[in-house]
Amino acid sequence: MDSASIYYLGVTLILFLIFAAIVVRTYSKRHAARGEEPKFRMMDDDYPNHQ
Amino acid sequence: MNQQEGYADDIVKGFVIWSMVWGLVAVLVGVFISFQIAFPQLNFPPYLTYGRLRPIHTNAGIFGWGIGSFMAFFIYITQRLTRTSLWSPGLAKAQLWLFNVVIALAAVTLAMGMNRSKEYAELEWPVASLVVVLWVIFAVNIVMTIVKRREEQMYISLWYILATLVGVAVLYLVNNASIPVSLTKSYSAYAGANDANVQWWYGHNAVAMVLTTPPLAIFYYFLPKATGVPIYSHRMGVIAFWSLIFMYLWTGAHHLLWAPVPDWVQTLAMAFSVMLIAPSWAAVFNGYFSMNGQWHQMRENYLVKFLIFGITFYGLQTLQGPSQSIRTFSAFIHFTDWVPGHVHMGTLGWVSLVLFAAIYYTIPRLYHTEIYSIGLANVHFWLVLTGQLIFSITMWIAGVQQAAMLNATNPDGSLHYSFIETLVELYPYWHMRALGGVIYLAGLLVFLYNIYLTIAGAKTQAAAQRA
Repeated sequence: MDSASIYYLGVTLILFLIFAAIVVRTYSKRHAARGEEPKFRMMDDDYPNHQ
Repeated sequence: MNQQEGYADDIVKGFVIWSMVWGLVAVLVGVFISFQIAFPQLNFPPYLTYGRLRPIHTNAGIFGWGIGSFMAFFIYITQRLTRTSLWSPGLAKAQLWLFNVVIALAAVTLAMGMNRSKEYAELEWPVASLVVVLWVIFAVNIVMTIVKRREEQMYISLWYILATLVGVAVLYLVNNASIPVSLTKSYSAYAGANDANVQWWYGHNAVAMVLTTPPLAIFYYFLPKATGVPIYSHRMGVIAFWSLIFMYLWTGAHHLLWAPVPDWVQTLAMAFSVMLIAPSWAAVFNGYFSMNGQWHQMRENYLVKFLIFGITFYGLQTLQGPSQSIRTFSAFIHFTDWVPGHVHMGTLGWVSLVLFAAIYYTIPRLYHTEIYSIGLANVHFWLVLTGQLIFSITMWIAGVQQAAMLNATNPDGSLHYSFIETLVELYPYWHMRALGGVIYLAGLLVFLYNIYLTIAGAKTQAAAQRA
């Protein structure tokens, strides 16, 4: 295995780990309610000053 | 600026109207070139030939209608999801002018035969340079609006919008790297198989970053707005987004199966294309599950009909696409009429249906009125659906027949049919395709008439109120 292949595999592995971290964080119990919050807040966005 | 709501919406009106103009041009030229294929005597050299008009059709459709309306809705959506007004309405006005100049220049230069011979990247370097300026203006305005947002968390549509801005910039700059030899001619900075690889990395990801991520941003925003019910799962949307982003950029080489690019590149593209079914269908299921308890709205709410049929065509498209990326299937249908059938299910079915819904939703709100006629909107829906289905199904059948004929061999291994014999058999299908195009055009005209009367009625109302 040459250095280019090792580099290529390394980048792939890093990308996979980043993706796995995103999945774990998104579906963590602590993040559950917060992760769904935007879908409720966007329903009432007609006025910029309404919080 | 719309003072009542604090959002810069006048510019949205401008982009919507101009995108509809370019959409009409795209479909008119598309219908004409479909007749040119069915009746070759309709080719009038040098300007009105299929070779000159086809890139005008695709550029007007993808960049004029597609990008034009994406610009409108990115500005509309971003302001609302960030609860802040556009960073620079003045810059957006300049962007609208430049957008129209670029599309007009594209039409003129392509008609004159100035063409880089790269599909979806045909524009010669002076026009392509203007595209870069246009995109930078657009991206800066949207990103700065997101930076000054008053919402801490970003709704899924904003992620898709950001991906589009970054993705298109990277793809366009890399694939348009050229060496100019005159004002009207340049040569690609890459050579041979590398050039082809870069071209299809760009070409297929134009599908990703122009025909997938923007309509998804728009779909995720307007489906809950139309139904009055939030999407099923925001977190599923986030995971689908990231998996789509991680996978899509590897798939371009599936356009080069059996070509002289490294075998592992082809296999990688094939594998990632098949894996893309997962994030694509996550979005489809998110749409379907959002309709739980709301399916009656398919009958009662014309906006929902456009959106759900749109996401359904996205689902079908993202099953058909990965199938086509498999070597054996690709060997059968590549270079046949199957491919335009596939492409038009995506553009006419998925992208345009979602955009029609977004325009129907926003125009009455921007002009403080009601849509002129829901009945006409329903007529529009059925006409474009019928036209598109006739087009796509006809081309799929034509493609299978063409592929079977091209692959037929005699016992001694020689070809059973000559190439011209396969073409002669396709004429009935080409007539049907032209008919499908005419029906789609009729639907589009009904849509434009409805929108025109909505806007005209709103202006009359406003004038009466002032008096």
